[in-house]
Amino acid sequence: MRRGLLYLLLLLSPTVLFAQVKMVKDTLQMQGDSVVVTANRSERKLSNITVPVNIINAKQIQQTGSLRLTDILKEQPGLTMTSGFGAGVQLQGLNPDYTIILINGEPLVGRTAGVLDLNRIALGNIKKIEIVKGPSSSLYGSEAMAGVINIITDANTNIPLQASLRYGTYQTLDAGINNAIATKSVFYQGFYNYFSTDGYSIRPNSSSRVTTPIQRYSINQQIKLNLNDNTNVSFGVRFTDEKIKNDISVNNGGATITSSGNENNTDQNYNISFNQRYSNSLKTSFRGYFTEYNAKQDLVTLSGDPYYDLLNHRFQRIENQTDWNANKNLNVLFGAGAVWEGVKSTRYDSEKIRKNNSIQYGFTQLEWSPIQKLILIGGVRFDKNETYASAFSPKLSALYKINTKHKIKLSIGEGFKAPDFRQIYLDFTNAAAGGYSVFGTAQAQEVINQLVQKGQIGALYDSYYKLKVLKPEYSTGVHLSWDYEPNTNNFFSVQVFRNDINNLIQVQQVGAYATGAQIFSYLNIGRAFTQGIELEAKHKIDNHIIISGGYQYLETGDKDQIDQIKAGKVYTRDANGYSKILSLNDYVGLPNNSKHKAQFKIHYYHNNGLFANLRIMYRSKWAVNNTNGNEVFDNGDEFANGYFSLHTSIGKDYKSGFSTQLGCDNITNYVDAANLPNLPGRTFYATIKYQIFHKQ
Amino acid sequence: MKKTIQSIVLMVIISSSIVACTKSDTATVMPVTAVTVKDIPADTVVGLSAQGIPITNGKYTFYSLERNTIVPNTDSASTEWDIAFMSTRIITNGGTSGTGLGGAFVYTGLFDGLTSIPTDSVFKTDNAPTSYAITTGSGNGWYNYDGLTNLITPLAGRVLVIKTASGKYAKMEILCYYKGGVTLAATASDADKLNKQRYYTFRFTYQPNGTKTF
Repeated sequence: MRRGLLYLLLLLSPTVLFAQVKMVKDTLQMQGDSVVVTANRSERKLSNITVPVNIINAKQIQQTGSLRLTDILKEQPGLTMTSGFGAGVQLQGLNPDYTIILINGEPLVGRTAGVLDLNRIALGNIKKIEIVKGPSSSLYGSEAMAGVINIITDANTNIPLQASLRYGTYQTLDAGINNAIATKSVFYQGFYNYFSTDGYSIRPNSSSRVTTPIQRYSINQQIKLNLNDNTNVSFGVRFTDEKIKNDISVNNGGATITSSGNENNTDQNYNISFNQRYSNSLKTSFRGYFTEYNAKQDLVTLSGDPYYDLLNHRFQRIENQTDWNANKNLNVLFGAGAVWEGVKSTRYDSEKIRKNNSIQYGFTQLEWSPIQKLILIGGVRFDKNETYASAFSPKLSALYKINTKHKIKLSIGEGFKAPDFRQIYLDFTNAAAGGYSVFGTAQAQEVINQLVQKGQIGALYDSYYKLKVLKPEYSTGVHLSWDYEPNTNNFFSVQVFRNDINNLIQVQQVGAYATGAQIFSYLNIGRAFTQGIELEAKHKIDNHIIISGGYQYLETGDKDQIDQIKAGKVYTRDANGYSKILSLNDYVGLPNNSKHKAQFKIHYYHNNGLFANLRIMYRSKWAVNNTNGNEVFDNGDEFANGYFSLHTSIGKDYKSGFSTQLGCDNITNYVDAANLPNLPGRTFYATIKYQIFHKQ
Repeated sequence: MKKTIQSIVLMVIISSSIVACTKSDTATVMPVTAVTVKDIPADTVVGLSAQGIPITNGKYTFYSLERNTIVPNTDSASTEWDIAFMSTRIITNGGTSGTGLGGAFVYTGLFDGLTSIPTDSVFKTDNAPTSYAITTGSGNGWYNYDGLTNLITPLAGRVLVIKTASGKYAKMEILCYYKGGVTLAATASDADKLNKQRYYTFRFTYQPNGTKTF
């Protein structure tokens, strides 16, 4: 009932009433000197940004026919989409856990095993996406270890009321309404999206579908009132509801258990902000944010046994940020905030009791330009956490403009990631698979002590005595890049990066039951690194055609494993299956990482509204399974094959306000059911869009 | 120069063979060589229950390292066998498992590198059901189980050092747990994973003279 009311309220919102007319001219562009908000937490011109940033604009999203956030991110240099627990994004070799995803600066929550399913985010009303690479915890706190992806929907531009409809392979339907009005006193934006798909199965003769039938609604409402020239308030609501039909077959000790039912995920975000400009040099903003992610799986096995799984994550935050432009060459920013968050889950000792954490934090950043060619930025943030150790995150970065064509950027920063709730509170015993248990660190010792008294413990390992309050995982990232822009038609950049990660939280066996079943908990033990080179190039051939390319070379490794290999303590097998000592040359580092990744794109655009593009992506082989009986990934293990994928689309924007688009994704029909479940075979789609209040 | 080396090498070979001959006159030293044994079934799956649960006979396969052959189950209470297999569990003929002098321990290192059993080694015996000489469980003894792929892989760099039923010594390296001697791919069908498992391929060296050298 309450939800119904919410829908009604949202539907009655003033989308149509405010409908106005003015269209932004958007032609084929090079990167240009757009405004970036994520890198400095404040609006800055791209040409003055000191850290590596990629910007995806609305035009690119539309022309590539992208519907969900995953669709567009997978075509960006340095990013890889992962599968398993939804579609996550891997940035410069670091897992999805280590990239914070923001919508208009506010974090999304609701990660399953560290992964935020980016299919949750519809792209229909997005103005641009900013991707900042390198640790950014000095501004954003936990999770901003590999980088930050900020999705921006609020730009002060008009969008005539526009409706779009797309239909494609696997009965995939996407319908949206989008509208934004900007006047002197009010900015309003409304966005409604409905998405459904029948899902698909890419395994022959299998009834279970890789992508199951999904129905998803998204609503986004935003209103900003300019009370006077210096004061504004804004309110925003975002709501996503998805129903996924699940038919799961689980292999349990050789027996196949089939269950069916529904999965229902909702994601609500509410934000309010109050922005005040005191003078040309001083402004402040107060922000309040509430978000709740609720994931529920309600299944019944064929034999009638119920299976119920719940995850509910609530996150509330208040924050103040003040920007002070001390003089022409010096900007100071400082802020503070508090977070209250809590998780309920069937995987904890009781799903009824919410596990809570609170964080208080403060941050500051100094931006100093001693000479015109040089910008230096220093920032620091401190996070005090209730349930795990505090974190201190400094960052230094510099931009040197050698001349109008050459720029050099260097940044060194610390990033951190807070322990997950599950790492602290998990209380899980798998009765089906041999009775092993995993306990979070908050109660591991207590629970195990009780088991000892009951005489149920067979052995306690050294690691048990090392259990203590978890520390966040830390990384130190260094990024050095050189941008070369000889003229407005060409752009070239090289970036070298290295991330060193310490304190990685890993599952470790801490003991065994008297029955022999294992007991696990979590310890800060791992050390890893990622390093590589990224190249990007863009060339505008004429007013109609732009070609662009990107390439990433990546190396990763677990430092402890490397030490073990160097000490000759790691074994592998030769062609006969006989054990031999593993040499470092055969070590491949962390799984799911490809050494080479590349993209190549051609975009065509004509003044008459015609556009077309061809995008080619390449990813080299990556290790997926440890098959040769050691704990490390080496050349004797199982790899997924490297592959190319080709995508194209063609469309036209008509003067009448109509636009049409036809597209084909994965033209060569490349599929790998086991390793790329999120990549369906060849798919086609057609889109029609109409701007009701369109004017020339 | 080259010639000199060749002649020295030749001399060494000849002289060592003389020594060998002299020795064999006093004590019979047979060359101990590694033998590879393929596809020894270890309580394989024989069918599925109505509920889809795999059915096995729940019986060990007994093996004599001395004679390099399978020993019939009727001889299970004898010292005819040295080692026996049932799914991932391996027992030796001693302790609670048998009447022999058998025992074992898991050595970390290379099979070929283990030329003599370290003098401080302790041979454990089976104490069913709480402990076994060859430790059970994933990652503890000789194998690793991947819960994601449902596959068993023998740990590389593990040698099972075995004391036989008659008190002689042998070393063994498990090479594979699947029929045909090749571990299945992660993408193999559930049916294959079920039916092709529990077939041991291993190599071993048996030292008949009672010494701890191989």
